[in-house]
Amino acid sequence: MSLAHIFQEHPQRRYIMFGGKGGLGKTTFSAAAAYHLAQQGFRVLVFSVDPQASLSDIFERDIYGKGPVEIMPNLFAQEIDADQHIRAYQDEIRNKILDMYGMEEVPEEIESYIQAAAAEPAMEVYYLSMASVYDEWIDKITKLREEMAEYSKVASLIQRDKELEEDMILKELLDIKYRINTSSGILTDKEKTAFFFVIIPEEMALIDTLKAAELFAKFQVPLCGYVVNRVIPPELGQQNIPAYLRNRLEMQERYLIRIDELFGEQVLAQIPEFERDITGLPMIEKMAEAMFGMVTESSTAPPRSVEGAKP
Amino acid sequence: MTEEEKNILKKLGISAIEFIYGMAGHDMTRFALKTRGSMEHLFILITMGDLLGVPILPPYYSLRLLPYVVPQISTWKRRMLREKDLTDALA
Repeated sequence: MSLAHIFQEHPQRRYIMFGGKGGLGKTTFSAAAAYHLAQQGFRVLVFSVDPQASLSDIFERDIYGKGPVEIMPNLFAQEIDADQHIRAYQDEIRNKILDMYGMEEVPEEIESYIQAAAAEPAMEVYYLSMASVYDEWIDKITKLREEMAEYSKVASLIQRDKELEEDMILKELLDIKYRINTSSGILTDKEKTAFFFVIIPEEMALIDTLKAAELFAKFQVPLCGYVVNRVIPPELGQQNIPAYLRNRLEMQERYLIRIDELFGEQVLAQIPEFERDITGLPMIEKMAEAMFGMVTESSTAPPRSVEGAKP
Repeated sequence: MTEEEKNILKKLGISAIEFIYGMAGHDMTRFALKTRGSMEHLFILITMGDLLGVPILPPYYSLRLLPYVVPQISTWKRRMLREKDLTDALA
């Protein structure tokens, strides 16, 4: 089974994600996969929330925090400035408090709480494990909130008050619940979502990936396979090369065998270490060819999104 | 019946209703509101525990609930941090 094969067999997929340790090439693969799909006529958005702004480097354009930017026909790239979003979120809360109570400024203890809440919800596995905890938490407090509403109702009934205030908190809770369920629903949708792991033939990467894969299975993330990156072309071994490189080649061979034992059929592609870094469209095209083989054009196709993400 | 007499009757009626409410309903209402208040404080503890240094969950989402509980925060803090003794259980 090859990567191209999987993409062809599942045209209904809408969310494609690459995961793995930092620096293994997730963003590069995302960009190349997006390029490949755009070439086939799909409308694609490739996006990243990585503050390192690697997509900007790869496409050689500053797109950080600028919304979806058209790179070429059908291919859009977006790099989300998470910090800016969090600041906007905090401001929204502050303004709401000032508006609701006609205050001049937010009380100090409230302000410090708002600042402490800056930690963004992390991605993927952590997010998913949190999502189930959040979900139960929200269920519990929603129930508590509903019980509270009962007591208010009783009190106002005996006091013969006609008007009962609408519980805004309950409304917010239901909305938060909806958001959490929708996002974890996308991540675990086997029809529409595909998750690929990027590995390299090195010990540390393999150990970490195995652990992450276990977690993914636990949270029902549809893990579709593995892509091996940074493979030094073995043909080099036949040339007159320094001992340093020969050692690396031998080590790599050992780990490639190990990868085969561990993941077998699930390894979908082996990508060679390129002679230069992958920046600019011509290099992305080369990368896409290495991943998917030569591109064949097809007609119209619906939009998709591709994301580079960390476990 | 004159207008004045009607008024007196109406006042009597209201007084009677308030009297009965005081006898039968007031305690129930007080109890309901008191329970409601306790639950409100429990709720703030679960969602905003961080304000007292009780980190229950990352506060990213609870931030959205914050504006609605701002007026209760100070009474809530006072109640949570109040010293408690045996006589509380009798109250």
